[in-house]
Amino acid sequence: MFQHAPSAVARLPLAARAEALPALGGGQLHEIHAAADDWAAALAFAFAAIDAAGRRPVMLVHAARQAVLNMQPYGEGLIGLGLDPARLVLVEARDGTGLLRAGLEGARCPGLAAVVLASWRRFPEYALTASRRLVLAAERSRVPVIMLRGDAEVRPSAAHQRWLVRSARASPREANAPGLPALDVELQRRRGGMSGGRWRLEWNDQDGCYREAPDTAPTPDAGIHDTPLSGAVVRLSAVRAGLAGAAAASRAA
Amino acid sequence: MPALPPPAAPPETPFALVVRAGNALRLSAVGAAAARAGLGVGMTLADARARRPDLLTLPHDAAADAVLLERLAAHMQRFTPMVATDPPDGLILDITGCAHLFGSEAVLAAQAVADAGLTTRHAFAAHAAAARALARYGRAGGDVRDLPVTALELSADALSGLRRAGLATLGDLARRPMAGLAARFGADAVQRLRAIMGEVSNPIAARQATAAIGARARFAEPLAHTEAVLDVLEDLLVQTARQMEPRQIGGRRFVVTLERSDGARRRLVVETGLPVRDAAVVMRLLRERIDSLSDPLDPGFGFDSLTLAVPRTQPLAARQIALDSGDGASVGDDSVAALIDRLATRLGPDNICQLRPRDTHIPESAQQLVPATGAAAPWPTTAGRPLRPLLLLDPPAAVTTITSFPDGPPQRFRWRGQVHVVCHAEGPERIAPEWWRRRDGHIPGQHGLTRDYYRVEDAEGRRFWLFRHGLYEERSDPLWYIHGLFA
Repeated sequence: MFQHAPSAVARLPLAARAEALPALGGGQLHEIHAAADDWAAALAFAFAAIDAAGRRPVMLVHAARQAVLNMQPYGEGLIGLGLDPARLVLVEARDGTGLLRAGLEGARCPGLAAVVLASWRRFPEYALTASRRLVLAAERSRVPVIMLRGDAEVRPSAAHQRWLVRSARASPREANAPGLPALDVELQRRRGGMSGGRWRLEWNDQDGCYREAPDTAPTPDAGIHDTPLSGAVVRLSAVRAGLAGAAAASRAA
Repeated sequence: MPALPPPAAPPETPFALVVRAGNALRLSAVGAAAARAGLGVGMTLADARARRPDLLTLPHDAAADAVLLERLAAHMQRFTPMVATDPPDGLILDITGCAHLFGSEAVLAAQAVADAGLTTRHAFAAHAAAARALARYGRAGGDVRDLPVTALELSADALSGLRRAGLATLGDLARRPMAGLAARFGADAVQRLRAIMGEVSNPIAARQATAAIGARARFAEPLAHTEAVLDVLEDLLVQTARQMEPRQIGGRRFVVTLERSDGARRRLVVETGLPVRDAAVVMRLLRERIDSLSDPLDPGFGFDSLTLAVPRTQPLAARQIALDSGDGASVGDDSVAALIDRLATRLGPDNICQLRPRDTHIPESAQQLVPATGAAAPWPTTAGRPLRPLLLLDPPAAVTTITSFPDGPPQRFRWRGQVHVVCHAEGPERIAPEWWRRRDGHIPGQHGLTRDYYRVEDAEGRRFWLFRHGLYEERSDPLWYIHGLFA
């Protein structure tokens, strides 16, 4: 969902953006760190990595004892992010061990679109061995496994990528209304690749996916006329269009 | 035929069941007191009420009648194995060779009537159609030739035609040539007449008790090793699978009873979301159940008997193995269903949930968490509707706010000890309470509190869904709550 066409990256107008946003690939374990207040942003980033057109279920596991806030995913909000709520299977484990066991079972199941594990704060059970188990299970089933870490300190793990996600200020709409979801994501670590990239993503309602937005955060008093025009935004391939979109992108190059 | 007395009413109060036929409510069954008062089946309720204003009525529940009839038929199998139902309210028992076990036919009938516990009529005849006609239209021990022509159950036109021709009984009809009767009243009338007269065979379709699925193993020496017990259990599962396969059913619930040599019993129950016959799948669930037992399976001096029962089954057709065994849809579905079963067995079915939409505009009631073992419900589209948060706080968290003007969004609010400065706000989206669900909700001032929802963004770029609980005219100091988090 976050793929760039290589040709589009080559003629980026902004020099700072050297590399493409890596995808949360299947068969890998990804860690997403976020503060409690940014939990919705982290969840949205994880859900955006899931193939929206597919019908396979998405498993969201959380542990009852860990959660800082008592909340649940909201179906109508999920539709707004292009994910059918009927696909979501919510699993409530008792504690951290149960969470990892349920996540491991899910990671072994090739019929799932993704396994998202929501964990909070200190989580001593999730160490190198446990994360390596998840990686091995994911590699066999080709299911992406996403570990959300809320209010947690960074510790070594076998994850392929580690992200830090924050909410970002959205381009405001008419009448000073808040805009569509916007995220500030930072790739802190990446196995076998460059890390350290930072992107500002904004939800694009027409394409139904996140698109990269200019780094300049809009000033609070910026009206609709002051927001940057779409021409300044990097053109990305239409991810949902599949092969046709990739072909169009290469033609444009 | 069966007419139950009205619940908790004096016996002399007339009682009837009513059913809606066309635009009128008509009596569909009457009690003894109502029948004495001159009320009959088919009368409109208005007429009946005009005659007896104290008439008690209840709506006629045809489905409950059918269930009762099935239960009664199952019970009647203690008199004869050949029992057939004659819906909506009849039973046909073939008592050939059974009567002498009870003494005589009359004794058998008296016992059956006493067992039924209902107001009944019965009759004996050499075959089913005659017995049925005698029970419904004649007297016990009467002759079928004396039955009125209504026993043919023809249309009202045909019956009045027969009466006008001076034919009152079946005997009158049977003496006439059948060809003329068929030409005038149709082949159906002749068929029924010949069936009642016993000239054509009229077999009954007796209900057959289906054998319960189950298997049992007894041991000469008690088994003291849990692993050995599990091996035997797998064998029993294969046996039940062989029983289920020809009947094209699969089990939804498997109950294992372990009997220890000292008399202690242990029951293990596993349930599946989809019907299964595969022994390996059930075995995995059973191991999961044994692992999650709070007090482990203790063989003590050993188990001397194992019983496996499959009390709940569902149709399950044999399926062809797909040629492309890659990531075909059916393979994926199966693996997910098995995963959900495994997790439900370990964590309890209430902890594996899915979201189901509900038809209400109150945000927290618009979705429901239901066990994921059921079928998924489709969600309506949200195109053109106001944005909804990704996460809903349950319950909404109270916040303290500072607003610049009463009917507007807050300027800043404090949540979890942190002050958020509102930079952008959209709203209000006014959500009225569901006054029609409240007691006295239709009275002004009693309908509950209206909520004004605002979508706000703070200086750090976090988006919240806040609402003010109550308008200022409803409440002098309405409270603010945070109800959701946007991405």
